[in-house]
Amino acid sequence: MDDLIVKVISKIIIPFMQVFGIFVILHGHLSPGGGFAGGAILGASLILLTLAFGLNDAKKKMPHSMSKLVETGSILLIISLGLFSILNGYNFLTNGASGFNLGKTGEIISAGFIPIATLAIGLKVGSTLITLFHTIIEED
Amino acid sequence: MNSTHYPIIMMLLFLIVGVSNPVIKKKFDNIEKTIIMSTFFIAISLAFYTFIFIKIEGPFFYNFGGWGRKFGIEFAIDGFSSLMSLLIVLLSAVIVWYSFRDIGHEMDDENFISYYTIVFLLIFSMLGITFSNDLFNIYVFMEILSLTSCGIISIKHKKVNFLASFRYLILNTLGSLSFFFGIALLYMVTGHLNIIEMNLAIQQVWQVTPTNILLATGFIFIGLAIKSALFPMHIWLPDAHSSAPSPSSALLSGLVVKVYIFTMAKVIFNVLGKEISQALDIDLFLSIFAAISMVMGSIFAIAQKDIKRMLAYSSVAQIGYMFLGIGIATELGLAAGFFHIFSHALMKSALFLSAGAIIYKKDLRDISKFDGLGYELPISMSVFTIAALGMIGIPGIVGFMSKFYLAEAVILAGKPYFIVVILLSSFLNAIYYLPIIISAFIKKDPDREKLLEFDDIPRSMYTSLIILGFCMVLFGMFPNLLMNTITAVVPTFIN
Amino acid sequence: MDLIKSLLDHINYVGSVTLFVIGLYTVLTHSNLLKKVIGINIMETSIFLFFVSIGYISGGKTPIIYPGTEDVYYVNPLPSTLILTGIVVALSITVYSLSLIMRLYKEYGTLDMDKIMEIRSETQDE
Repeated sequence: MDDLIVKVISKIIIPFMQVFGIFVILHGHLSPGGGFAGGAILGASLILLTLAFGLNDAKKKMPHSMSKLVETGSILLIISLGLFSILNGYNFLTNGASGFNLGKTGEIISAGFIPIATLAIGLKVGSTLITLFHTIIEED
Repeated sequence: MNSTHYPIIMMLLFLIVGVSNPVIKKKFDNIEKTIIMSTFFIAISLAFYTFIFIKIEGPFFYNFGGWGRKFGIEFAIDGFSSLMSLLIVLLSAVIVWYSFRDIGHEMDDENFISYYTIVFLLIFSMLGITFSNDLFNIYVFMEILSLTSCGIISIKHKKVNFLASFRYLILNTLGSLSFFFGIALLYMVTGHLNIIEMNLAIQQVWQVTPTNILLATGFIFIGLAIKSALFPMHIWLPDAHSSAPSPSSALLSGLVVKVYIFTMAKVIFNVLGKEISQALDIDLFLSIFAAISMVMGSIFAIAQKDIKRMLAYSSVAQIGYMFLGIGIATELGLAAGFFHIFSHALMKSALFLSAGAIIYKKDLRDISKFDGLGYELPISMSVFTIAALGMIGIPGIVGFMSKFYLAEAVILAGKPYFIVVILLSSFLNAIYYLPIIISAFIKKDPDREKLLEFDDIPRSMYTSLIILGFCMVLFGMFPNLLMNTITAVVPTFIN
Repeated sequence: MDLIKSLLDHINYVGSVTLFVIGLYTVLTHSNLLKKVIGINIMETSIFLFFVSIGYISGGKTPIIYPGTEDVYYVNPLPSTLILTGIVVALSITVYSLSLIMRLYKEYGTLDMDKIMEIRSETQDE
């Protein structure tokens, strides 16, 4: 699209959308939201970038090689969190009993490995949405 | 590491290798084949160790996160799930070994690595459905299975594949949504999602709300019947299984359909319990639909001219046998149904793989042009002959033993009218399998010079065919190797 | 009367079953491929509504613990978590079926199921 108003407004709004998405992801264990909702907001901000500025500019921001690494790394991170508790002698995906720091209720750094898993899920969902959108738009 | 973790390690191995494959390598060469076959080797040894461990020590439950049964997800690893996981891993290893040289002429070069990623995710989700003890967990794995099995059909970019895959996706989604609605109705009444807790709660709730349990059972039955192609709901199966590449057809028809039958047996015997399911008359419905499916599937198969479409309709008929075994609802009937799951997996994979070898060498799918083919591709046609004779029911091959056990179970349960249906179905099987065997070995092909030549297909393809043929004859001559294990496991399954 | 009162008490369940039947009718009777995908989405939404309204306890608060409150009744949070997984599954099915529809349009040139079956039966009758 070549509209001037859309480009100017997107330049102002997209940073706020991304900050809001990261806020929802980081507070996933304290308030409603969590991995999938925050990841969808991040993906929606990148889709707005694609629609306002065209496909080539958006592909420079999020190339296919980086999204492949993000998706694979997120799944391997969650599996390694589960295998960490097998190596300590407990069952798969054990939270407090196998050594993760539980902390106080109500703070950000608390509740074991839940913030790390939420971060991985959020990044993965955002990168999946933008990859699917680019693949469908590109079919000419 | 404690050996109770081995089933989880086996499932995670497929997930890790499948997800990280496209990132590490780009070209499909010998290093890639070594990675895939070593993954299968480790998985087979872990599955074997778990099977022997269960025989010595007994079944156990595995809680995720140590949360216990009321709050967390649980895996139930007992005799039958370890046996079924051993079958899944072994048979898919043979099929993947066959497919290393066969996919060259089915799809483009750049899609090879994606194909193996989708196959690994398919095996991961099948192992998840077999082991899981929680109804919602079974639903999630079932969705992964339906998406990946649509993926291995539409990876061949032809017109027919896209249409078959679209119809498969829409009908499978209808089935999953119906299953999910049944789970929601059961959760509303009992308040648990774990199978063992739900069983205890249903015994108490059954007097208060019988209509709710009846509705929930109806929805679950319809959902699973659409996905495992029982007679009126089988319309997606011929297109999907005949237009897919040959290793995909063998995987779909040999393994994916069986997992849904096993889930139906779990729901009827473990969630509802034997008394309630007989009060609801569900075994009567299963037996009637199974009997109709055995006859109508064979009648449709007689009219086909394309070999893979004929094999797909033959699958519809054989699925009726397994449902008849479950519908009889005695111990011997359930054991006969499970034995037919194993024997049909071996026979149908052998049939699809040898048909794939014929298509690879001669690009020929029409049945009437098979004259004299037995002397040009002797190994493929003889494995095809062994499997076809097993389907008809000739003694010495594993298919005869499953029909024998099924007939014995039917007589002992006091319903001898099903013997007529079994005999009629075997007779119809003979009508469409025997002409192929006769025209391959007895008729003459006029423009062939040599008298008998060795198969001109790659070595990985005919070694996997020889392994399957050997297994069919071995279990046909000594069926006790398998049947003793199954009859030892079935009484704990029913109670 | 008694029937209307019990219908209005369980309006959630009645609405979700109505949506399920509307979605099923759309999938089975319309011949346009996109309308079938929309029908599947309507069916999935109806099941999510049914499942979430199971967990509601009348008089319960939102299930978030603030430090320094006493024990009150909370609404059951388990169905909402299960539905989050269900929404992800519904999204992936929709995306995959839409990309299949794009490929079908490129090959056959039409989006109508009846015309596609006609073209297919003409090219196969040889």
